[in-house]
Amino acid sequence: MAICTVYTTKLNPACSSFSTPSKTHLGFHQKQVVFYKKSSSRSTRGTSPYFITCSAGDSQTIVIGLAADSGCGKSTFMRRLTSVFGGAAEPPKGGNPDSNTLISDTTTVICLDDYHSLDRTGRKEKGVTALDPRANNFDLMYEQVKALKDGVAVEKPIYNHVTGLLDPPELIKPPKILVIEGLHPMFDSRVRDLLDFSIYLDISNEVKFAWKIQRDMAERGHSLESIKASIEARKPDFDAYIDTQKQYADTVIEVLPTQLIPDDNEGKVLRVKLIMKEGVEYFSPVYLFDEGSTISWIPCGRKLTCSYPGIKFTYGPDAYFSHEVSVLEMDGQFDRLDELIYVESHLSNISTKFYGEVTQQMLKHADFPGSNNGTGLFQTIVGLKIRDLFEQIIASKAKTPVEATKA
Amino acid sequence: VRPVYAAPDKISDKVEESIKNAEAACGENPASGECVAAWDEVEELSAAASHARDKKKDSDPLEAYCKDHPETDECRTYED
Repeated sequence: MAICTVYTTKLNPACSSFSTPSKTHLGFHQKQVVFYKKSSSRSTRGTSPYFITCSAGDSQTIVIGLAADSGCGKSTFMRRLTSVFGGAAEPPKGGNPDSNTLISDTTTVICLDDYHSLDRTGRKEKGVTALDPRANNFDLMYEQVKALKDGVAVEKPIYNHVTGLLDPPELIKPPKILVIEGLHPMFDSRVRDLLDFSIYLDISNEVKFAWKIQRDMAERGHSLESIKASIEARKPDFDAYIDTQKQYADTVIEVLPTQLIPDDNEGKVLRVKLIMKEGVEYFSPVYLFDEGSTISWIPCGRKLTCSYPGIKFTYGPDAYFSHEVSVLEMDGQFDRLDELIYVESHLSNISTKFYGEVTQQMLKHADFPGSNNGTGLFQTIVGLKIRDLFEQIIASKAKTPVEATKA
Repeated sequence: VRPVYAAPDKISDKVEESIKNAEAACGENPASGECVAAWDEVEELSAAASHARDKKKDSDPLEAYCKDHPETDECRTYED
């Protein structure tokens, strides 16, 4: 296999150390591509990228998309997901301290804010939010995600959340699993078609408000009014550009206020729905007791003691945006571990490698938000389903090597 | 030339400032793009501030010390 060297001096003089070809920790050879820009990052729209490609690699990158609004627990989900694959996810070593990327042995998580075409000042001048497609460069997003999927390293820009500026790019090597997380992973149809699996975190307005109060009330300058005003101001763009993506997701995790406590608006006890699309290749939905039946289950009783307000599971087939789906719902929260292992033993198709793996994963991160309710449980299960999907795709590609190198 | 990065404490100042700006921008016209963009900036900075807080909270003082001084008595660990 050929190896080539690409010098990236035009983009960023500080990057020359990246240009040495090397074998990565994944064990396959890397290729690199450079996206030349015409001066500033704002002019990239419409200009075609200049590809430097070498021979086809034996890399097999699968791409996962995770969509959610800011402050909705994307980073917690990412930490649970990378933990399923083993090894801690860390920012790239020695690079920009404000990089949004997380890298572990198998997984690289990139934040789609890095594809903002307008920086903070630019958005203010034009009067658009980060949710607006006009503030994002979907051409570059498509080109770079496609390149990574084809096993080609890219120079990805960095959007600095502290300064609100676009920083010099960083080198991203093709990982085994690429996760793109942010506001618009399923917005552009070309990017959407690259995804092997997609997830949407759907937080209801009541819960979003409660979570943001928890997050921001301690912060100087914030008040109930400012939190409310910020949510309301962003809502039109959120409804128009972000919320519409959930129809394309293979799995939606919906977080709602509990129905176990009448008129609860604290947002501490949650009702969480795991909506899983039927007929997705390499993905078979989780079920409770009997696949395809409609079941309501309260695990509390003689075998399990629960404190108020208890736990209630619901499972059944449903329709979601005219797709056939299976829905698993959990209302309430766990007090102790034995409840979780009891629940795990009654779920089927959770893609665990050994009995108790879900419980073990949850225990490992008992300090993460959501570890005592359905958000943590379903995020962990989705993590295991992604591992299963990854293993199936790799196995099927190994069987038909001709098709795998079609790029 | 490396850009200058703000420390987490500075984010708090920025959040406070951005809220004031947003309230001012919305005084004139609450439905304007200017107002909406200003509140979006508040959200972005609040999220950045909370991420910075989480990062700080995670750090155990002994762990941080042992990263720099792995050979000291309180930090030495043996696999077997």
